[in-house]
Amino acid sequence: MHDHLGLVGLPHVRIENGGNTGGSALYGAFLAVKSGLFDCVGVYGWETMDNVTQSQGSEFIALASDTRYEALAGGIYPIYYAAMAYKFMKENNLTEEDFAMAAIKNRNYAADNEKSQFYRSDYNNPKSPYYKKTLTVEDVMESRLISYPLKRLDCCLMSRGGAFTLVTSEEWAKKHAAGNYVEIAGAGLSSCTIRAGDRIDYPGWNEKYGKGYPDMTEFAACRHSGEVAYDMAGIEYKNAAKEIDVAEVHDAFSSSETQIYKALHWCDKDNIQEFVREKRTFLDGDVPTNIGGGLMGYGHPVGATGIMSTLETMYHLNDTAPKKHLSSKTYVKDADTGLVNSHAGTGTSISNFILRRP
Amino acid sequence: MGDKRMHKIPGHNDIKWDDKNSDKFRGDIKETGIGFMGYDFDSATEQFKVFLHYDQLYYWKYGEVSKLGKGFVEGEFWGTQCPKCGDKFFPPRVNCWRLDCNLERSDWIKLSETGIVHTFTIAGWSGKSSLKRHPFVLAYVIVDGCNTSIANEIRNIEPWDPEFGMPVKVVWKPKAERQGTVTDWWFEPADGWKAGPMTPEKERMKKLCQPVIEWVQTMK
Ligand SMILES: [Zn+2]
Repeated sequence: MHDHLGLVGLPHVRIENGGNTGGSALYGAFLAVKSGLFDCVGVYGWETMDNVTQSQGSEFIALASDTRYEALAGGIYPIYYAAMAYKFMKENNLTEEDFAMAAIKNRNYAADNEKSQFYRSDYNNPKSPYYKKTLTVEDVMESRLISYPLKRLDCCLMSRGGAFTLVTSEEWAKKHAAGNYVEIAGAGLSSCTIRAGDRIDYPGWNEKYGKGYPDMTEFAACRHSGEVAYDMAGIEYKNAAKEIDVAEVHDAFSSSETQIYKALHWCDKDNIQEFVREKRTFLDGDVPTNIGGGLMGYGHPVGATGIMSTLETMYHLNDTAPKKHLSSKTYVKDADTGLVNSHAGTGTSISNFILRRP
Repeated sequence: MGDKRMHKIPGHNDIKWDDKNSDKFRGDIKETGIGFMGYDFDSATEQFKVFLHYDQLYYWKYGEVSKLGKGFVEGEFWGTQCPKCGDKFFPPRVNCWRLDCNLERSDWIKLSETGIVHTFTIAGWSGKSSLKRHPFVLAYVIVDGCNTSIANEIRNIEPWDPEFGMPVKVVWKPKAERQGTVTDWWFEPADGWKAGPMTPEKERMKKLCQPVIEWVQTMK
């Protein structure tokens, strides 16, 4: 890729980190610029998932799990996630309908963006059952079982796509992108066990977050990398939902988006139900989330996704959203602080970034 | 003689593989390596596509947890336990996960073939090789009081009947069919366990399963 972009001779690094590839590459570029060695680093990712069928693709992706103990037993990621989500749902007093809120939110926002996969495959496709339709919770409930409690509309898309961004020094940005750039005010990257089954009561996380953490329900690596990013940006955890004006998070499943709300301190066990039901992550809520459509609506070309999420967050902070979405409906005006989340495995590697309007 | 925490790696010439079964389950599969199978062309958009097929036998080595694979073939469950803190692992870890134990080497322990369901799901869609088995229950089960859980299928149960915390037992494939992997066994409800009455949630699960059952019946 760097060859055909005319970049021969420049340093190049391949970063492959599953669903967190984009976030990890952004983190790498952030380190490179922050170190002072480089003032302009290109970050790009892509995926061509339509070369195989969905079930073949799912099996390829499952090879990223612990193949000795998981993929062979017939598990693919939606199944692992469903097992985690079901326990999370029960323990946090949520329902299938609560998860469905994220599913309809992200797809309905994607319907406002001609570039999104949901718009092209469904919203603008006369052959789709969702042609010109504003999705409802009932649509999600009636869609086909994937793995209980997840149905087809609770799951992200398989996509072909690519994304590119530049990470530069402030001086470089002021000179070449005045009025257009945003600042990376915080960055965190964290890891967790490869197998979700090893998280019932993990000693390392116990020391930090208490006995019985993370269990199979919490994304410890999301909480930790989020806290690191909040600390760097000077955001108090309890104020996170108020301080963040717009966010793009890894909604591989509607349930994961909901789990991420909690991991990022936007809500806790006691108020997660009302947080979801009061639509606090919709456009009119405290933390508009996945306004670009997310992985369920815009698409999930794995290697590009984290970079796509970064760009979709940036579009609000530099006011280019109306131009990029060809609509002002999915534009968060006056946003100053954004959050980007990128996520891999069953929560095995997760990064979080705070972006700010300079 | 070195650091006891290290994994022992026998020299290449020290391994004779005296119990060879590499072709035992191969059937008609032939290794062809990479090959070009044909092409498609679209005249209107001038797009050209080449088809390839890749077929390659490969292996992983269990290495220091080889006792696990051999145990599966023999119909035994082997886990590990840290002699310092007592944490029990299944699947096995060679070194303890507690930093305070300083990567202490674990000991092998034979586990009882019983467990408790930690969480579960009803799979209605999966990878190509598993499609015909749907709907099936995949559960994460804590075997014999271990500190970790392992994923596998629960069979001999209606998909909507499993419960959090339900007791399960291990059921083995016939010995001649075992391959030394987690597919050599599955879970079934423990003897004496009885499914609870139908509830609205179970009715909902049952309803979601029906189209999957019908879909699988249409598959060859
Ligand atoms: Zn120990």
